Amino acid sequence: MDRGSFLGRFIARRLVQAVPTLFGVLLLTFLLGRLSPSDPLQLMLAGQYDVTPEDRESLRHSLGLDQPLPIQFLAWLWQIAHLNFGNSFYFNRPVLDIIVERIPNSLQISMIALIITVLVGVPLGVFAALRRGRIEDHVIRVVSVAGHAVPQFWLGLIFVLTLSVQLRAFPVGSMNAVGIDCGLCWDRIWHLIGPVAVISIAGIANLPRILRTEVLEVISQDYVRTARSKGLREQAVIASHILRNALIPVVTLFGAILLVFFNGSLIIERVFNWPGLGRLTFDAAVTKDYPVVQASFLISSVLLIISYLLRDIAYAWVDPRVKVR
Amino acid sequence: MRQQRTSRVLIAGIAAVTLIATACAPTGAPSTSATAAPSEQPVAGGRVVVGATGDPKTMQPVLSADTTSSGVWNWFYLGLTRANYKTGETEPNLAEKFELSSDGLTLTYTLRDNLVWSNGDPFTGDDYKYTAEAVMRSEKTVRRSTFDNVEGAADYRAGKTDGISGIQVSNAGKTITIKFTKVFCPATAAMGGAGAGGMLPSKLFKAQWDNKTTDTTKKIDDVPFNMNPPASIGPFIFKSFQPGVQVTLTKNDKYFRGAPLVDELVIKNYADATAIKNALMVGEVTYAGVNPSDNDEVSKNDALKFYRYKTSAYDYIGWNAKAAKAPWLANVQVRQALAYGIDAPAIVNKVVFGFGSQVYAHTPPVSWAYDDTGLTKYTRDVNKAKQLLEQAGAKMGTDGVYRWTDGTPMKMRIETNQGNNIRETILQFAQAQYKDIGVQIDPLLESFNALLDRTQPGADYEGFIIGWSLGADPDPYSIWHSSQTTKDQFNDVFYSNPTVDKALLDNRNGPDCSQAARKKALHTVDQQLNQDVPYTFLFTRDSLTYADKKLQAFDPNTYSTLWNVEKWWLKK
Repeated sequence: MDRGSFLGRFIARRLVQAVPTLFGVLLLTFLLGRLSPSDPLQLMLAGQYDVTPEDRESLRHSLGLDQPLPIQFLAWLWQIAHLNFGNSFYFNRPVLDIIVERIPNSLQISMIALIITVLVGVPLGVFAALRRGRIEDHVIRVVSVAGHAVPQFWLGLIFVLTLSVQLRAFPVGSMNAVGIDCGLCWDRIWHLIGPVAVISIAGIANLPRILRTEVLEVISQDYVRTARSKGLREQAVIASHILRNALIPVVTLFGAILLVFFNGSLIIERVFNWPGLGRLTFDAAVTKDYPVVQASFLISSVLLIISYLLRDIAYAWVDPRVKVR
Repeated sequence: MRQQRTSRVLIAGIAAVTLIATACAPTGAPSTSATAAPSEQPVAGGRVVVGATGDPKTMQPVLSADTTSSGVWNWFYLGLTRANYKTGETEPNLAEKFELSSDGLTLTYTLRDNLVWSNGDPFTGDDYKYTAEAVMRSEKTVRRSTFDNVEGAADYRAGKTDGISGIQVSNAGKTITIKFTKVFCPATAAMGGAGAGGMLPSKLFKAQWDNKTTDTTKKIDDVPFNMNPPASIGPFIFKSFQPGVQVTLTKNDKYFRGAPLVDELVIKNYADATAIKNALMVGEVTYAGVNPSDNDEVSKNDALKFYRYKTSAYDYIGWNAKAAKAPWLANVQVRQALAYGIDAPAIVNKVVFGFGSQVYAHTPPVSWAYDDTGLTKYTRDVNKAKQLLEQAGAKMGTDGVYRWTDGTPMKMRIETNQGNNIRETILQFAQAQYKDIGVQIDPLLESFNALLDRTQPGADYEGFIIGWSLGADPDPYSIWHSSQTTKDQFNDVFYSNPTVDKALLDNRNGPDCSQAARKKALHTVDQQLNQDVPYTFLFTRDSLTYADKKLQAFDPNTYSTLWNVEKWWLKK
């Protein structure tokens, strides 16, 4: 069989394997919310002593929360089978609408942060490896370990408290200043700097550590020595022989990173008051808005499965040594 | 308006929003240098930005059950009556006057002249009736019980009629008459909002849900106008909603109290109270309530003016009289000992930095119904507490902990929600101070969800620290009546006192619904609670609000921030 049909079978097999995984995810997200104490109604109407038990029960009924759990689960599966995620308990609106309107907001931060991470992280990693043992290498390593050790939320809070509240150099959060509504303008860039910087710092701290190891391994390979000995310029050796091979493991890393970037950074979106998907999911989990939490987790899981699949395919594509079976 | 409604005090974040939504006589302002001199002429224009934690769940009062939502719609949908911003007494709003008949069975509202919606439609009693009927047919409202005693409401709900017979509109839409099957004194306040709190523009809404039908499958619950309010009777008109970002409103030139001076009002969505405080500090938010613990930091900001006023909320330790593991809590002397055992003023100083005052019963001191005559003012007295415990039959053990009459050590849990610093500190106080009187406390910190779940009426909890935020019209029936002790009900300390039961019903069902009669009934309730101490009543907090000094004529108080919004103006 040729490589193409191998790939086709590979994809088909992975998709079949994904079914039980997805079912597990569905069951877990359904149960975790419901088995923890308190129900959405109790939270929604906490302490409203003028709301009678009859009115509470009637609302519980209209939300379907008075049904036994297996029935609620089956009803939900039936909805999903029809690509209907239902209505949010709180917002009285279709869950899909609520999620879709948040996705571009999250993508903005995450895509820019991803690009910056790669643009800064990759050269730093290569540079550290090429300068192995020298002062530059040490500095990059120390900074990278430190950056990795500092929690993102802490960095975010410090950013807001010092640069925003005290120095007023940056906004305290949000996507735009009040009264300005633009997607691509200086105001938006100004608001993006904080969250993007904090997320990028974490990414930048991570990438050089992995790349440095990979580059060092590749650098000692025979073909690199051959390339150098045949008189290739150093830049050409780095670009086409070292980097190309050293980046392969980095590709695997992006499988999971993509999801994190899609979901937005939950904590960072809260700290910077960014109306993204991460914040939506977090708030929904706190208020037990089951339809939103379930849909959000389901979409993320599907994306994770797809991104792993794409990663494996990409891996096989860039590295002929990896066989698709 | 919805901020008159009531709720048990939630987590700090929600409390902060309530502070914003409720709201005064400025006292102790750090600086008033930018305050306009009386001679200064108000100028029109500008924008006021208010912070909210989260998006509105709905912009329609029938479905609304949270302060974020009411914090949006109460700028454009109003009730016939409202709570006086200082006293909480019911006063005319869209209605010019209202009158409850002497038998308490007929309530008549007369509307003001020339009321018009922002789109030019006249406001009439039909808007009132429409809203009431929307509530009765809604499956997602929690306000239907408001109409329990209204003639014909149940028939309309069941689809037997195409209108509530007990609500009649006459005199070219200017008079609304409501007939009750039973006297219900809080009705004057509750009915003013047609159950929902604010009236809907029926002429426009009818295109999406028609009330004149017997088809009960059709309802207002999912109509597009719920998130896109088409007209305003209030000071501002809905302009746009950006999910996760803000709701933008513009001034309503047709507002019956006069067009607001401020052009635009933005309700901006923030992740939590801390984010709102940060936005206040940098001048992004025009005014906001702050937590006592943040007061020191915020007070140093020269651009802000300080407003302090009493709230109608209080914190307490509830004692479960049916606790399986602490049978002594059923004994009144033990509960009195617990009231003497704790130093409430010290707690006020420590946890809210003195911005509050001790309370001795249920009715908040700001309420028109408050009367402290004859109330015991409990102060910490270790000897008296021990004496009371011994009178109750407890005997001191060798370990310094009393033994109850059955020989078990007097040891019990007090639980509260983790992350609420104020309540966590109260719990530490209680643990240390009750040790002095020979009662051992095991502190239990849990999530707010778990606390709500665990204190559903039952036997598996002893003490718990939580709070009430009380509505303007006093009706504590659901909290103290001996019948209110099953699931989803609020007498979770199993308080039972026939005198209180009767007084609670007198306050509700009259037949004398005069303020004097209700005040007397509520005083009886307070006196009994003060002696029976089913809660150790702790303190009421003050609201600490800060506003940009440019904002003039801002005058928030306990029951309303928005009462004079049309007069607010921004100094250039």
